[in-house]
Amino acid sequence: MKELSELNLPENLKYSDDHEWARVDGDVVTIGIDDYAQDQLGEVVFVEVPEIGDTFSKGDQFGTVESVKAVSEIYTPVSGKIFAVNDSLAEAPELINNSPYEDGWIIKIKADNLSELDNLKDKASYFQMLKG
Amino acid sequence: METTLKTTQLNSWHRANGANMANFGGFDMPLWYETGVKLEHLAVVESAGIFDTSHMACVMVTGKDALNLLQLCHTRDLDSLKNGRCVYGAILNEKGHVIDDAIVYRFDETSYMVCVNAGMGTTVASHFQNHKSSLIAGHERPVEVTVTDLSEKVSKMDIQGKNSAKILKKVLHNPDTLFEKMPYFSFKGDLSADSKARLKNGTPLLLSRSGYTGEFGFEMFISPDAIVQLWQDILEAGKEYNLIACGLGARDSLRAGSVLPLSHQDVGNWKFVNTPWSFALPYDSDKSGFTKTFIGSEALLSSENSKNENGTRYTFAFVGQDLRKIGAGSDSQVIDGNGKAIGTVLTCATDMAIGWHNNKIYSIASPDLPEGFKAKGISCGFVLVDRKLDIGTKLVLQEKNRKINVTIVDDVRPHRTARGKISNFI
Repeated sequence: MKELSELNLPENLKYSDDHEWARVDGDVVTIGIDDYAQDQLGEVVFVEVPEIGDTFSKGDQFGTVESVKAVSEIYTPVSGKIFAVNDSLAEAPELINNSPYEDGWIIKIKADNLSELDNLKDKASYFQMLKG
Repeated sequence: METTLKTTQLNSWHRANGANMANFGGFDMPLWYETGVKLEHLAVVESAGIFDTSHMACVMVTGKDALNLLQLCHTRDLDSLKNGRCVYGAILNEKGHVIDDAIVYRFDETSYMVCVNAGMGTTVASHFQNHKSSLIAGHERPVEVTVTDLSEKVSKMDIQGKNSAKILKKVLHNPDTLFEKMPYFSFKGDLSADSKARLKNGTPLLLSRSGYTGEFGFEMFISPDAIVQLWQDILEAGKEYNLIACGLGARDSLRAGSVLPLSHQDVGNWKFVNTPWSFALPYDSDKSGFTKTFIGSEALLSSENSKNENGTRYTFAFVGQDLRKIGAGSDSQVIDGNGKAIGTVLTCATDMAIGWHNNKIYSIASPDLPEGFKAKGISCGFVLVDRKLDIGTKLVLQEKNRKINVTIVDDVRPHRTARGKISNFI
């Protein structure tokens, strides 16, 4: 496992307590799992994603990330409708490990209300939480 | 309270080589290295891999009554075990529950070694000690048996996969003699100065044709001060075969695909009957009784004939439809075709070397691979249920809101090499 100091946690993202990250672009929010989560899970072998057009409320499980070690549920930090899913993960689930914030993104959701993201943490407070 | 994890001699090597470490049986052990579990699993099925298994423990049983004591304490009938052969079975308590599973090695009629799981050396040694007194009744002379816990006095590593012998050949002093007539579950050498098995530098070792992956290979017992050198020499010798170090993650998925149980998870605090491992019990020819009496035998036979208060339980192997798995343990449920909960999941792992093709499982090592076959991985493991099930029974495994569909099977990964003739692998 990585030491906390080795984690890559970009400044421009918001982080959930469940270790998802969110990037806002207009009213579309891109969601994935962060470096801490992928490191804890180990080698990802399967990612279950929703269909485009599916709707979710804040806190709903929208998919699962399965590693050789465990199965982890992933939750949306914002309500809305699925706008895009990362099809590359079907053939290359390891993108989650290799590039959690870029090639390993999981969904893009068109948000109903961006203020729901206000509860998420910035890098500094998320890092504080991990330090415990 | 903080507990200190034990370490093996190879701990620094694991850490220096990017291993992801975790507590296993009280030892700080590698789960996987930077290569990752999938490639480690595939390496063993395609070529070879090495495992640090020094966390396992050994107990020596010696003396005129060694066989008598082991006949009482181990489930296999050891009367027919020859010198230089070993056998897999279990050590039970009076209830017929599994204290641990164990391989018994016979050096000669008064000298045996019992190899048990991590941290179990002391428990098993004292179990043996406690039952020495049971031997007294039938004898005129005093009981002659000595039980010695060798935990931490012996190190162990395994090399597994079809190229294991070709790699070992480069580090052994006398490979041709050793590999001659070496069937599955036989061994040569010991840790003494006059061992028949030695490394090129003269170091004695015990070389056993066995393992825990379902693939051809060897377990090696050696002095703790020689293990790191042996590990490094084998890695070097195995370079041309793409040999890699493998962690406990790959060991778990390989053994699940080979229908081998993990002690304290797939066998444990319930009766050791109605399992895929009935070969480990000394059934007589008509399967109505045992060829010997041993600790736990009475309880096992009574559960065969009548329901005990907990009901009879059955263990079966299963395979999934794809690589998706669920968490095992007490939160898991096994649901039958009528929607009834009938048990729990003991193990659920993914064998990444296999895949479905037209309702048949193929392995990357299958000789008859259909065109376009891709081993996408299949989940597999064991369920503990309250009824007998037929092979082919469809079940749903559930953990919280996650479900997978599985089928009861008698085998998982096809074309395994463990039992092959050694001459095919040299």
